[in-house]
Amino acid sequence: MSRSGRFAAWWPGGGADPGEGHEPDPRFTFANERTFLAWSRTALALVIAGLGIVQLLPPFPRVPIGRHLLGVPLIVLGAVLAIVAYGEWVRNQRALRRGDPLPRSVMPWILAATIAGVAVISAIVLLISALR
Amino acid sequence: MTDPEPSDPKPGDTAASETEEGDAGLALERTSLSWTRTALSFAALGGVMLRENVITGLIILAVVPLIWRLGRLPRSGSTLGGLPTVGARRIRMITVSIVGVSLLSLLVAVLGPSVPGALHR
Repeated sequence: MSRSGRFAAWWPGGGADPGEGHEPDPRFTFANERTFLAWSRTALALVIAGLGIVQLLPPFPRVPIGRHLLGVPLIVLGAVLAIVAYGEWVRNQRALRRGDPLPRSVMPWILAATIAGVAVISAIVLLISALR
Repeated sequence: MTDPEPSDPKPGDTAASETEEGDAGLALERTSLSWTRTALSFAALGGVMLRENVITGLIILAVVPLIWRLGRLPRSGSTLGGLPTVGARRIRMITVSIVGVSLLSLLVAVLGPSVPGALHR
């Protein structure tokens, strides 16, 4: 599928007739909505964590940008998660309407990879600041 | 190949939908509570932000009642026995709000004055 085709399929009403398929069982629709809201809260928690790290933690000795190295990726991840969660909600809702199998979610992978990355950066920053 | 469990409803399974109307009602309640939790998350972020930047914090706190209200608006496209279906507009609004709040937080984090060691006090 071309890049524009993938975007059209992701954006509601862009790639397919919004009226296609049938109205899914409301329980599935509500469950899809709750999943989206849970990811939204995760995104907000990441933003809060990033903001707290940058604004409230004491500076790391020898690593003046240490707090920004840790906090800014978390805030950016919060925005990315919100956008990807929206895309997933659209894809899931479309699959429910068509009766297709639900698409595999990439969000746990994004979250795990970023948190692992931040953990590695944290370890490096702590090690450098401890070597006085 | 085994047959699916009778109690395992599939999308569009009208027989299952008809027998599970009570569950759909509970699903609506669970979803409303989920919206409330999301509004509280916004409030938490607004509270944190108030410490750093009062105006930004107030902007985020002003979003809280809107988010809470969004979860209680009647849903468009009621096509299945009068049961509500979700509209994409409110989902889009949440997404835009979170992205906007993230950008504000990024600006405050990078440009705003910090309170180093506030967690130690």
